[in-house]
Amino acid sequence: MDNHGTHKPAEQEDAGGRRRVLTFLSAFGLIGSAVLSAFSNFVFIKPRATYGQPSRFHVGKPDDFPSGTKLALEDRRICLVRDGNQFAAVSTTCTHLGCIVSPSDTGYSCPCHGSRYDQDGNVTGGPAPKPLAWYKISMAPNGELEVDKDQEIEPGTYFNV
Amino acid sequence: MRLALAIASLLILVVHGSVFYQQFFHRWERHQTAYFDQAKSLSKNDRERAALNERSPRIEQTIVTQFGEQRVDRCITCHVAADDPRFAGHAQPLKSHPYLVSLGDKKKENGSWERRHKYADFGCTVCHEGQGRGLQAQYAHGDDHYWPEPMLGFITQEPWKKEYLPYLKGKEYLEVSCAQCHTEENFAGTPTIAKGRQLFFANNCYGCHKVEGISDGTLGPDLSEAGHKFKIDYLWDSIVDPRSNAANSFMPKFNLKPDEVKALVVFLKSRKGINFAETGLERYKTRLAEATKTEGGPAAAAKEISGGAELIDRFACTACHKLDGKDGGIAPDISYAGLMRDEKWIGDHFRDPRAVIPDSIMPTFRFTDAQFQAMTVYLAGRKTPVAATLTGKELYKEVCARCHGEKGDGLGPIAIYLDPSPRELTKTAFMTSKPRDRFKKSIAEGVAGTSMPPWAKVMSDGQIDSLLDYIDTAFVKSKRPAPKDRKLPETNPVAMSKESVQRGEGIFVARCGGCHGRKGDGKGPNSLDILPRPRNLRNTQFVNSVNDRRMFDSILYGVQGTAMPPWIDYGLNQNDVGDVVNFIRSMNKKGRE
Repeated sequence: MDNHGTHKPAEQEDAGGRRRVLTFLSAFGLIGSAVLSAFSNFVFIKPRATYGQPSRFHVGKPDDFPSGTKLALEDRRICLVRDGNQFAAVSTTCTHLGCIVSPSDTGYSCPCHGSRYDQDGNVTGGPAPKPLAWYKISMAPNGELEVDKDQEIEPGTYFNV
Repeated sequence: MRLALAIASLLILVVHGSVFYQQFFHRWERHQTAYFDQAKSLSKNDRERAALNERSPRIEQTIVTQFGEQRVDRCITCHVAADDPRFAGHAQPLKSHPYLVSLGDKKKENGSWERRHKYADFGCTVCHEGQGRGLQAQYAHGDDHYWPEPMLGFITQEPWKKEYLPYLKGKEYLEVSCAQCHTEENFAGTPTIAKGRQLFFANNCYGCHKVEGISDGTLGPDLSEAGHKFKIDYLWDSIVDPRSNAANSFMPKFNLKPDEVKALVVFLKSRKGINFAETGLERYKTRLAEATKTEGGPAAAAKEISGGAELIDRFACTACHKLDGKDGGIAPDISYAGLMRDEKWIGDHFRDPRAVIPDSIMPTFRFTDAQFQAMTVYLAGRKTPVAATLTGKELYKEVCARCHGEKGDGLGPIAIYLDPSPRELTKTAFMTSKPRDRFKKSIAEGVAGTSMPPWAKVMSDGQIDSLLDYIDTAFVKSKRPAPKDRKLPETNPVAMSKESVQRGEGIFVARCGGCHGRKGDGKGPNSLDILPRPRNLRNTQFVNSVNDRRMFDSILYGVQGTAMPPWIDYGLNQNDVGDVVNFIRSMNKKGRE
């Protein structure tokens, strides 16, 4: 304190250090914001909620469908099949151009361009390129069957009740 | 400078961070995670656990298309356990919806329940209301005053009406939603609505208000869609105190108990103008059937004529009027109707109350002619006078106080519903400026065009005198001075002519319009500050009952004890007053140009 000469460099050094800290803080703030915004923008590209019917839904209790049922649920675009104690939910959206296929005696048939599928949804005729999708079924806690259209499963895998 | 930059950039980071946090770390995610954890510990087999392991928090929604416009209900995003019976004992939001017999849920033999209204088909807001798309509790539930649909019976918005708030919650309010489909009159699940409907008739609400399919009143607002337009707090407030929401309302204050108000609110809230259970075609058919429905025929009409007393009971006349022991506390006593009015007057008044008392608030009811006839005959037949032994004081209490008030201040219990208001008998300046004969005449013959009926047949001449003595001693309390000698013409000296009426109108608009209004209807800009209110000079019955001499007296020398000044002091001479009187008379002439 008694000598200005010795004190000055220390002050300069202090000021330099302070400057560096401030620069570091500014950079941290700005880059941090930029990273957060960039990340948010990428996440926001995918909508969190979509319009239209939800993809996971309840269809009813197993007892509502006697064995041998093959019931097309129009709004949900699935066909619920029961065979003994086995359940399956088969998509009724044609893999060709998206028409609604209807269950028939031999399987499924599309009214638009004549695609035909067998009971398991495999293509047996017409322009369809792929077999019909099967969706995952599970049992909801209230005892109803729950179909999740977000999860496709291997055709032929049934859900046992 | 660098310091400022550093602070600013850190601030930006904080703001960004908080936005980021709000957008990516939601309450509902925590609720769902908690649900998955608890459900896993509750699940009985590996398959259930595996299914839960695959789930991750996301926005869950039900899209309901069946009930009017499409509903998007995201309630189950937080209330994810709503249909999971294992969570019956948990705290909200992870509580399962109770199974209720009143909702039609059935218990099966193995102890499990079956819901009558499946949430996948009905959603949540169909019953509970609220904003189905909201993902934060305050938006979804509608806590804020400006959200249009607060959850029925659960959220009360009005922050400044604290005294009503406890009444606005409860399961009864949910009946409103039941009634959107279950419109049957006595549906077992909606007892509050049935009670409200019954009160709607018992209190004569139907006389003034229209509710589609129920009533045809025209005097008050149409309530067919009240449930859409108003929230329950507004409805409650408007029933308890009609003037708190509409300052000009002349709807009477009904003295209802809180549970009665609640029933009416629930009933009105359920009037939404739509019925989910029927299609437009069905509605059209029922309306057509109503329009072509025929009345009972002459036999039924004859039966009705004999049943006037019963009709008066059925139509709830005593919800407003007093008749013997029953008193609605809103409209005049009709116990002595047969002694006051003749059959023609009563009949005319029934068909259009304003034809004989121009400012009456009584609704024009749409009954059949036979019903009017029956009630007229019954009322005209009520000819029992008051007991001859009653003294002035007892008489006043018995028949006058209802309008003029116990203290003679013109503020009886029904006074606010009468227009013109009952005379303030304690106003000494007025009461001593008119001769006793004038008051006696008003009592005996009534005042035309007002609610003051003629009492001459109801009480004896001596009783009227003793009544006047009582009024003088109890209310006026000072002697009448000797009448001043005023120069007044017996009849209007200015002949009725177009020019005279025109001159009169000029003077009237310039001098009288401030209080009596440019149209002479007594509603001038100053009228609100004046008591008693300025006369409605378009009240034909009243104006025709006043002779020219009294008109000249009131205009030239003023009316003491009221705001009417002596115009002789303000430069009106006899001829001017003659013109004004001609103008007033011309307004009340039938078939005036």
